[in-house]
Amino acid sequence: MTGGGLENRGDAQELEKAPTRIDGDPEERVLRVLRDRFPGSASDTARVRPGLVRAHIKREDLYDACRLLRDALGFEHMSMISAVDYPDRFEVVYHISSYQNNLTLELIAQTPKDDPVIDSVSDIWGGANWQEREAYDLMGITFKDHPKLERILMLKDTLYHPLRKDFRG
Amino acid sequence: MTRTAEMWINMGPQHPMTHGLWNLRVKVDGETIVDAEPEVGYLHRGIEKICENRTYPQVIPITDRLCYGSSMSWSHLYCRTIEDLMGLEVPERAQYIRVVVLEMQRLASHLMWLAAYAVDLGMMAGFIYSMRDREVFVDLLQNLSGSRLTYNYPRIGGVAHDIPPGWDKEALRACDYTEQRLREYEDLYEGSKIFMMRNEGVGILRRDDAMNLGVTGPPMRASGAKYDLRKDRPYEAYADMDFEVCSRTEGDCFARYRVRMDEMWESCRIIRQAIQNMPKGKWRVVAPRNAPEGTGMARVEDPRGEGMMYAVGDGSDRPYRLKIRSPIFVTVSAAPKFLVGYKIADVVAIMGGLDMCIGENDR
Repeated sequence: MTGGGLENRGDAQELEKAPTRIDGDPEERVLRVLRDRFPGSASDTARVRPGLVRAHIKREDLYDACRLLRDALGFEHMSMISAVDYPDRFEVVYHISSYQNNLTLELIAQTPKDDPVIDSVSDIWGGANWQEREAYDLMGITFKDHPKLERILMLKDTLYHPLRKDFRG
Repeated sequence: MTRTAEMWINMGPQHPMTHGLWNLRVKVDGETIVDAEPEVGYLHRGIEKICENRTYPQVIPITDRLCYGSSMSWSHLYCRTIEDLMGLEVPERAQYIRVVVLEMQRLASHLMWLAAYAVDLGMMAGFIYSMRDREVFVDLLQNLSGSRLTYNYPRIGGVAHDIPPGWDKEALRACDYTEQRLREYEDLYEGSKIFMMRNEGVGILRRDDAMNLGVTGPPMRASGAKYDLRKDRPYEAYADMDFEVCSRTEGDCFARYRVRMDEMWESCRIIRQAIQNMPKGKWRVVAPRNAPEGTGMARVEDPRGEGMMYAVGDGSDRPYRLKIRSPIFVTVSAAPKFLVGYKIADVVAIMGGLDMCIGENDR
C-alpha cells in the first residue's frame, strides 16, 4: 500500500485572492481573453447555448490556459473531464464552471494517437485529481505531473484501457 | 503533546459505515486522523462501455442502474443529454411531469439518506420512520412506472406515458403527509442530544475548498455556496417554480443535514406547484433513431450534487461515447479535507453526511 490522499488538497489560499465576477457579457469576455492570450492555439471558439461556451486549445497551452481561467476569469470549479477515442486522435474535454458568472466552458484539447500525453491540471483544481486518474485508467491518457497517476476503478494489475475503441473484451 | 505511532486503518470494504462496497483508509495518530484515502472501484461494471454497444433507447434502463437510490434522475439526465445531441424540444406537459417525478425522487433519496444517517449515528427509530415514509414516494413512482426502484420512465423526447387518473391527487396527499412527518423528524433528530453532539462542528469544509475540490450539491451548499442548477440554470419547467435555494454557512455535518431537510420542504412545494399548473397536451415527441454527428452535454441537480453527461454521436443509432460525471465520485475524492483533524469516531458522521452511492460512483 502506497501513499495517502493528502496531496489532493487544492490550494484554496491562492483562490481567495483571485478576482471574481466579470461584468457585462462574461461569455464573450472569456472567449476573447482566450483568443488574445493564446493566438494560434485557442480556436473554434463558439457560444453553444446560454451558459455554455466552447473552445479548442493546443495541448501545450492547456496548463497555462487553465491557470489563467482560474486566476483571472473566476473559473473555480473543474466539473468534468472526459476522454474520447476518435479514429484519428484522442480528445480530452474539460468542462470548467464558474459559479459566480454562472458559466460553463467546454475546453477541448487533442493528443495524437501514438502519444496520449497531456499536462495535469490537478494542482489548479483539486477536483480534477480523481477525474484524471479515471481518464488514465479507462482511456490510457497520461497526465504529466499528476501527483498519483494510478488506476482507480480497475484492478491495479490490469493490462488494458477498456474504453479504447480497439479494446475487445 | 505526546505522540503515538501512526498507523493505517482500513474502514471497509465491509464496514457498516460504507453503505456499499468501498474502502476508506485512514491514518491515525492515536484517535486523531492525520491522513485519509478512499479506495473505490469495487462495483465497477463498465457502464460507459456497455452504453456504446446499445441503441439510444436501450441505454435508458442501464442508466437507471447507476444509482438504486435515485434512478429517475439518472435516466432523466441521460435523456436530456441525448435531446441536446439530437436537438429535440420536449413538450411542456412532459417537462412538468419530469419535475414532479424528479422531486419525488429527490424526496425518496433524501429520506433514504436520512434513514441511513440515523442508523449510522445510533438512532434506530429514525431509520424505521424515514424508511417507512420513503415508501410513500416509492409507491407513487411504482404506480406511475410499474417498478419500485429502477423506473425506466423518462424517454428521449418526453416521458413514457401520461400520469394515470387520480395519481396527481395521491401525489398532493403524499406532500401533505410528508410535510407533517418532516416536522416530526426535525423534533426527533434535533431533539436528540447524541445526534446533535455528533453533528455540530464536525467535518467542517470551507467554501473555497468545496469549490476547488469539485464538491457539489448539499455538501457545497452547506459550506456557504448558494448555487443550485434548478434555480441558476433552470432546466425542464423549474424556471416556472417558486422555491428557495437552501444553503447554510457553517459547513459542518449539521449544516449538511439541515440543507437536505430544507430541500425536502422545498421539494414538496415544487411538486404541489407542478401538479397544480400542469398544462394539458402531448407528453412525448418521437425521437429520431439516429443521432447526428456532434456532442451533447447536460447538467442537472441530482440529489447528491451535479450530475453531468457528455455524449458523442457519430451518425449511427448508438452513442460513440457516453461520459458520466458522478457527483459523489468527485465529492469523495475530497474526503481527506473533510476528515483530517477529527477523531476516528467522527468518520461515520462525516462520510455518512455525504450520502455515498457506490453504484454511480463506480459506474
